[in-house]
Amino acid sequence: MAVDSTAEGAASSAARTSTDGGVPANADSQGDSGQADPPVDSIVGTADDGIVRELGHDDFDPVGTLVLVLIYMAILIGMWVFMYFVEFLGRGLTVVG
Amino acid sequence: MATASGGGEFVDKFPDEAAVIKASFLIAFVSLGIGAFFGLVQALHRTNVLRVIDSADYYTMLTGHGVLLAIVFTIFFLCGVFHWAVARSLDRPAESALFSWAWVGLMTTGAVLATIAILGGFVPNLGMSADVLFTFYAPLQAHPVFYIGLAMFIVGTWLSGADWFLSYRAWRQDHPDERIPLQTFMVLTTMIMWYISTLGVAVSVVFFLIPWSLGLIESVNPLLTRTLFWYFGHPIVYFWLMPAYLLWYTVLPKLAGGRLFSDPLARVVFLLFLLLSTPVGIHHQYLDPGIAEGFKFIAMTNTMFLLLPSLLTAFTVVASVEHGARQRGGKGYLRWLGALPWRDPAFTGMALAGAMFAAGGFSGMINAGMNINYLIHNTLWVPGHFHLTVGTAVALTMMAGSYWLVPQVTGTKLYSRPIGLLQVIMWFVGMVFMSNAMHRAGLAGIPRRTAEPQYQNFEFLTPIGSIFELRVQIALGGTLLFLSVVLFLFNILLTSLGEESDRPVDSHLPEPLSGPEGSPRILDNLAMWTGIAAVLVVLAYTLPLAGIIQNGGGLFGGGLPVPATVSAGFDLVLTTVTSAFNTLWGVVA
Repeated sequence: MAVDSTAEGAASSAARTSTDGGVPANADSQGDSGQADPPVDSIVGTADDGIVRELGHDDFDPVGTLVLVLIYMAILIGMWVFMYFVEFLGRGLTVVG
Repeated sequence: MATASGGGEFVDKFPDEAAVIKASFLIAFVSLGIGAFFGLVQALHRTNVLRVIDSADYYTMLTGHGVLLAIVFTIFFLCGVFHWAVARSLDRPAESALFSWAWVGLMTTGAVLATIAILGGFVPNLGMSADVLFTFYAPLQAHPVFYIGLAMFIVGTWLSGADWFLSYRAWRQDHPDERIPLQTFMVLTTMIMWYISTLGVAVSVVFFLIPWSLGLIESVNPLLTRTLFWYFGHPIVYFWLMPAYLLWYTVLPKLAGGRLFSDPLARVVFLLFLLLSTPVGIHHQYLDPGIAEGFKFIAMTNTMFLLLPSLLTAFTVVASVEHGARQRGGKGYLRWLGALPWRDPAFTGMALAGAMFAAGGFSGMINAGMNINYLIHNTLWVPGHFHLTVGTAVALTMMAGSYWLVPQVTGTKLYSRPIGLLQVIMWFVGMVFMSNAMHRAGLAGIPRRTAEPQYQNFEFLTPIGSIFELRVQIALGGTLLFLSVVLFLFNILLTSLGEESDRPVDSHLPEPLSGPEGSPRILDNLAMWTGIAAVLVVLAYTLPLAGIIQNGGGLFGGGLPVPATVSAGFDLVLTTVTSAFNTLWGVVA
């Protein structure tokens, strides 16, 4: 679920002062503080405050990355085939050398 | 790990370094403003939407646009980033603040001199101009002040590298057995690559272009200066890109709420760039008749290998971002993308820059292919390509990174996150318009580097859409990009004028998921990798350079160039080696 990141600055200040450097506040409290008191200003780089679970090296399987990489490779190959066979060879003779 | 304090803000911990970084950023942003304005004028001029300058002045603007953005903006910014990264990751200030200011001063003086020489082109009776474009090789000649300024700038970058190596050396004395911290490792490998590659442009400028522009020598070998330029001209691409990669590897995962997937993989990527960035420059000269086809083929092979570190980066960085999304509650194969902090301009800017770089990777593959390159060589396709790479992957990452970095060195909060978000999206949309139209215009055969690509009795044709539509897209895109820069500069200016805050930004960087401990220590053996990189350069360039000197009428030209063959270069090397051996033998005997 997406956390409203404009609320993160305020949420993070609250989380940090109350937990004294411990585990960040959970998602519910983030949502509450975001809805109740929209911040006047906010700071950059507070995505950590939206963390609802910590994933270690062995718990994380980057399957979404695999999907994105496969989609990218398919686009790449498709466009290259188009460029080579249609745009390049389709224009007739090219003198090389 | 997520909330551990970084131990005070950077500006409080390293005030001297923060001042140097602020100065570097200031010069970078002033250059960005001027260069972007020139870009707007060019986009409107060559599309014939609005012509406020004489077409002869177009090339002055084009040179200013290229030099101010691709050299001054990018390099000053990356010097600021590297200064931050070294102090932060080694957790120690620079060895001498005076030395740091010395390189800032030398680079600034050089940049100002080169800019004065370029802008002199607008004043007809001044007798000073440098309309030689960013690719400043012969036979186009600039005023000596331009070359002298460039030489000072390059020497300044060498000194900046020395600054970071001195910090590393001091750190190493205190930490003899530790692995090099990742950010410092990235800075050092990038600088070694830069030292190797700038040798070419230093030789070209100091030994040929400056004496030639001063009238001390009558002629130069244009092919030699061109080849020496591209010897530097491709690695400079990676000099722009590697700081962006530094931010993608070490900052973007944090901005996404995650951790870097693998530290060793990041090290391997930077080593591959160190090895492969330089022996590929000839791929910019596929249509150069003075270089034999065989050498071009070697350059193409090296270039294709260079795709590997970028594809490794695509995997590692996207996996790190996905880790952030999953930690923030993201699920599914693609739904996790919705869990990313899209309202944070620093994250969104870098993520969009990465997406654009993926598209730039495609057009780069077309450029890199020896035969298919003929299709797009010297057309508008090429500016379309590099506005995706340096113009977005690098520039947008630098702007987005500024939203997170500038508060660290000023101690003030970003003036407005929503304006920042609007700015990065506006850049992305503007570039989608401009770059896709440039690529398509290039396929239609429209040339680059031309003030008026409109010809009598000739019509360019496009299979889909129309040339008019492409021109409108380029003009619209260029306007959006300029407005985006205005918003960026406005936001940064107001940020720097803001009140100091106890927590201007969340600057903590979490540890990687997979640290360097398990990786081979040989990865950190910088001397060995430097040696291999030098050998690869010698292998790729000795014969072509020998052939160019022999066929092009010697070091200083003068003779008529003849088409190149592989054997000509080989003959010259053989003759040189034999005569050197005979001389040596004579001395010994």
